[in-house]
Amino acid sequence: MKTWKTLTAATIGVVLAASAMGAWAQQTTLRIFTGGQQRPDVMRKIADEYQKRNPNVKVDVEVGGATSEAQQQYLSTVLSSKDSVLDVILIDVIRPAQWAAQGWAEPLDAYLGADKPKILAQYLKAYVDADQVNGKLIALPYFADAQFLYYRKDLLEKYKRPVPKTWDEMMETARIVMEGEKNPQMQGFSTAGAPIEGTVCTYLVPLWGAGSELTKGGKLNLDTPAAREPFQLYGRMKQAGVLPKNIAEIPTDRIRIDMQAGNLLFAMTWSYVWNRLENDADSKVKGKIGVTMLPHDKGGASATCIGGWQLAVSAFSKNKAEAVKFARWLSSPEVSKMQAILASHMPVFPAVFKDSEVLKANPWFADALPVVEGAKSRPVTAQYPQVSDVIRGNMNAYLAGTKTTDVALNDMKSRLAPFLR
Amino acid sequence: MTSGKDLSERALGALLLAPAAALLLVIVVYPIATLFWNSLHAVDNANPAAGETFVAFANYARAFDDERFWRSTWNTVLYVVVTVPGALVVGLALALLANLPFRIKWPVRLGLLLPWALPLVFAGLIFRWFFEYRTGVVNDWLGRLGVEPLQWLSSPTLAFIAISIAIVWKASSFMALILLAGLQTIPRSLYEAAEVDGATRWQQFWEITLPMLAPSIFVALIFRTITAVQTFDIPFAMTGGGPGDSTETLAMYIYKTTLDFLDFGYGSALAALMFLLSLIATSAYLRHTNRA
Repeated sequence: MKTWKTLTAATIGVVLAASAMGAWAQQTTLRIFTGGQQRPDVMRKIADEYQKRNPNVKVDVEVGGATSEAQQQYLSTVLSSKDSVLDVILIDVIRPAQWAAQGWAEPLDAYLGADKPKILAQYLKAYVDADQVNGKLIALPYFADAQFLYYRKDLLEKYKRPVPKTWDEMMETARIVMEGEKNPQMQGFSTAGAPIEGTVCTYLVPLWGAGSELTKGGKLNLDTPAAREPFQLYGRMKQAGVLPKNIAEIPTDRIRIDMQAGNLLFAMTWSYVWNRLENDADSKVKGKIGVTMLPHDKGGASATCIGGWQLAVSAFSKNKAEAVKFARWLSSPEVSKMQAILASHMPVFPAVFKDSEVLKANPWFADALPVVEGAKSRPVTAQYPQVSDVIRGNMNAYLAGTKTTDVALNDMKSRLAPFLR
Repeated sequence: MTSGKDLSERALGALLLAPAAALLLVIVVYPIATLFWNSLHAVDNANPAAGETFVAFANYARAFDDERFWRSTWNTVLYVVVTVPGALVVGLALALLANLPFRIKWPVRLGLLLPWALPLVFAGLIFRWFFEYRTGVVNDWLGRLGVEPLQWLSSPTLAFIAISIAIVWKASSFMALILLAGLQTIPRSLYEAAEVDGATRWQQFWEITLPMLAPSIFVALIFRTITAVQTFDIPFAMTGGGPGDSTETLAMYIYKTTLDFLDFGYGSALAALMFLLSLIATSAYLRHTNRA
């Protein structure tokens, strides 16, 4: 009797353990990496939704550094050692060339199969171009981004000033508002100035706005008068007291913090800022913000830097099929819409810009589509980190006042030459 | 017969030492050898798939022509020259203070330990907030004294001063710990004898404390000098090397070269050169201690 009981118990135990192990074997854990700036909280919500629909998948969200280069430094160590810990990785739009050269990303062409042209045709063209290197699809677009001019609607109305079209107009307005407000904390205009990735765009936007390019036919093109324009523009702003005095210490998110505290009139920054200004509990500027195209030189045209984040599948992932499936869902119109509403992340599908719920959460998206479509790329090269280091380092040194226009420009030319021949 | 016994004893000794030797081989010799081997190779970063090629000492030659290598090395030397004596003086003062006969000793000891226990990068972040232009406490104090706020982290000179202050604060507690241990080994009877002979406090410090403390000071100096040559975290967190690359140290340049630029060959050569710098900086002390 006793033996019989024990035997039954043992059998039940074995059966239970086996079925548990069977379920466990089917359960896949995917680990997705995202930067601290790319709203990991929203990523978590989206991942929860995916888990609900795919009970066999568990998604861990790993949060990395706040800046693009801090994230890449970490990813470089993980991927150079061929570590399989990460499955899906959110990468900056500037990275695919380097990732392709290093062989870190699983090419996605085979997974899309014959449908590839049809699938890619739905996206904003700029991202399809950015994510394909030498004909290989390195990543899928997650959200789009570009720099815009954020301004205080209430203050422009108070001083009866129009939304500025040119840099000079903007400086004049900033001067008038700062004089009138008599708030010593008030700053006129801010942009990234610290030696970080965003500062590359701080140089490029006025360069483009003056009708020039960093490279021409693949060759460095900094012998033009326009190459001096970014330095001179910020020099004039500094002299007029429009830029924060510590502009050389300002990283991307500091601009958002200053604007949110009500201490900033104009800012050149990215789309995520809108959601924080409108929804954060401590925002002093709810309903007081307008977003428009960046100003340009008199006679020039507005230009902006293309940003945005891409989903790469690690070449070292042990669950590539599941990882690609997850990445494809993250790169769907449905998730694009969720992100737009939850985080004011710009959609990667032109169609989603016109969605009524998306427009309700982000009224300024109505005019944003042409801006994103016209946004320009930072130089595309496998050695982008070196190129970025030279541009941001010299822009930062100029803003700090340790280099003159001539010195900064000459250093930039001589140090970029080996990479952009 | 005896020789046989000797041999087996030797064999036993070798056997017992083998695990430790193997461990050292894996965690010390192998990485150093790999680093040196890497430093003799280069990889074309535009085409990493092509693999590494042997370039002999080309990476070292490149360093000698690299303006940025010399600037970051010079910055590192400046940090050594300023923060090693700085931490010694402050650390000695703290150790003497902690050695006073307090009734309750633990708050003082804890105060000494805390900065040392704090991760370096935290210390860097804390000091960055201290020296922040608009919200930092340092500019607030200056404002109360009627001094215009300074852009601490936007000027190479001011940034160097701010970073040095942070390093001295962080490093002097470790100095103080070593020196305090040294102070406690000095017999009280020496001071009692000196007092009987009518020596002043100052004379006691110069004639008893300092000479008796010399071995501890040397140990502390060697540790501090090696870590000063490796200065990374605090300037990394405070300025990121800016403005431009004017506060960049050699360790930061190595980090950038390897992890940002993925130039492992050149980064390894720079690391080997940094090792040489450490060796030069500490050999002076070692020679002195050998003589003594």
